[in-house]
Amino acid sequence: MRSERARHNKIIFSGTVGAGKSTAIAALSDIPPVSTEAVASDETAALKRTTTVAMDYGVLNLPDGEKVMLYGTPGQERFSFMWEILSEGGIGLVLLINNANTDPLKDLENYLAAFRKFISGTAVAIGVTHMDRAQEPGLDAYRQKLADLGHDPLPAVFRADARNREDVAMLVKALLYTLNPGLIDA
Amino acid sequence: MSRHTHLPGQPLTALYLLHAGSMDARLIGLSVERHWKHSVRLVATLDEARVVLVDCDRPGVEAAFEQLGQHPRTGVVCYAFHPKDHAPRFPNRVILGKPLNLESLPGILAQAANDTARQVAVAPPRPQAAPETPPANFSSKPAALGHGLKMDDERDLCGAMDDIPLTAGATLPEKLFFDPDLYLIGHLSRAVEQAIVSGRPHVISGLPRLIGVQPRPLPICVTAFRDNQLRPFSMTQLPNTTARIVSSLIFSESVGTDTVYGAEDFLWNIAAWAARGRLPLGADPYQRVRLKAWPNFTHAFVSPHALRIAALWTRTWASPVEIATRLAIPHRYVFSVFSSAQFAGLLDRDAPAVTPPVIAPVVAPTQQQRPSILSRILRKLLNAV
Ligand SMILES: Nc1nc2c(ncn2[C@@H]2O[C@H](COP(=O)(O)OP(=O)(O)O)[C@@H](O)[C@H]2O)c(=O)[nH]1
Ligand SMILES: [Mg+2]
Repeated sequence: MRSERARHNKIIFSGTVGAGKSTAIAALSDIPPVSTEAVASDETAALKRTTTVAMDYGVLNLPDGEKVMLYGTPGQERFSFMWEILSEGGIGLVLLINNANTDPLKDLENYLAAFRKFISGTAVAIGVTHMDRAQEPGLDAYRQKLADLGHDPLPAVFRADARNREDVAMLVKALLYTLNPGLIDA
Repeated sequence: MSRHTHLPGQPLTALYLLHAGSMDARLIGLSVERHWKHSVRLVATLDEARVVLVDCDRPGVEAAFEQLGQHPRTGVVCYAFHPKDHAPRFPNRVILGKPLNLESLPGILAQAANDTARQVAVAPPRPQAAPETPPANFSSKPAALGHGLKMDDERDLCGAMDDIPLTAGATLPEKLFFDPDLYLIGHLSRAVEQAIVSGRPHVISGLPRLIGVQPRPLPICVTAFRDNQLRPFSMTQLPNTTARIVSSLIFSESVGTDTVYGAEDFLWNIAAWAARGRLPLGADPYQRVRLKAWPNFTHAFVSPHALRIAALWTRTWASPVEIATRLAIPHRYVFSVFSSAQFAGLLDRDAPAVTPPVIAPVVAPTQQQRPSILSRILRKLLNAV
């Protein structure tokens, strides 16, 4: 019998604290999203006392009864060791970057580095959030940064408001088509 | 009416806009005022009209035709995005395609007016009491109007053009191409360019509403057009003297009701609406190009298949026709993306000298097995959003 983890399809949402992961998952999920205080597991026993971290999950119910889990990674980079475990078996990554942070292009670089292995086997779609509050850097700066980091072809980068379900769904659609442009949707 | 401008013996065609949107009315009004003073006169009532103009795509077109029952001598010229689709509903009607060709319209109006007058003159007299027969095939059942059926088709805004040959060589149909200079997109793209080069805001003056470009810190477009006005306006050929690009320190009309768009998104959309499945004049549908990046699809117009086209075209050098073939979709959808990408600055034409071999279609010809998990998620998102 396949394990729960392998049986459930999942899409990973990651990004800096405040970028909009919890909000995005809530916007898309068919169930009220669960925001857990995930207590550190065995792997993290050594850090037990400090690794109580918030993490979100939501569910997309498919018509045939199958479920797609939406997992939000804990934002703090000091917990990045958990990200790989979380994303194991995942379909792909939606990366949210808060444009109002001090150096969002550096955040982009850090997160892409942390997920390098996962992305190389799957795909990523990038949502730049909080652009209503901070216009710069613009999308072109993100594309340039991605090119400088050696991403060819460039992944999808959209201006996204995590509170807007259509924006979040558009990121997931771009992710799916990146995985397979030949997907039939009808 | 400006009688002194009209030549003796050549009557002005009295035109009534029986069923046309306000933006169309404005543009036609402008055209009459500036170009057709000698041939067309707009009248305020159906009774005065020798010919009427009817937009078949607007709801309520049946009611408009009903009014015409009382006016058998009045000529009728219809227009629609897909004239062929309306032909069965309104046989024996002249149905022009959108956008209206402003050069030829006065002639067509005059002819429709004259033809109807002549037909009525030779028709056998009807018994006075008989009710006016509505146009043949006129359906009185609202359920049969078919508006709902056509809605999706209209909304995709990619026209209905057939595919072109898969290899270069044949002469391509003229209607495959549009001249950007005849549409808003031509003016807009010059305005953006001039604003960026000069580093100063520019506006397109002479339009019914404000459209301005601000190049810094990031290029944006500001407009007082509402979105539902912008679309028809972008699709319509503008009288060639209408628009002028001028440098301006501030946008005079801006009083809080304006909408701000990223310049790239705005160019993408205005180009898509002008193109409607066509290519800009001079484009080569057989030349290999690539998308430099995904457009910002949370704000850029998503025509049918645009996401999968972007996914493939950001990773592959391919001609528009090759992309369509590989995705097994009609050419016009790829032409739409091409046109938008060109004006949005997202088209890369510098293909490497060594072109990669053409790869097999990415769409499996048979889709008999259970759709993949990706397809099913996609379907869920498409239905639920
Ligand atoms: N103004 C603005 N607020 C946003 C945007 N996206 C998310 N937010 C808000 O940002 C805050 C942080 O979002 P949250 O989902 O908790 O971020 P997380 O730390 O990544 O889980 C919430 O109040 C959201 O409503 C955006 O694009 N613009
Ligand atoms: Mg959170």
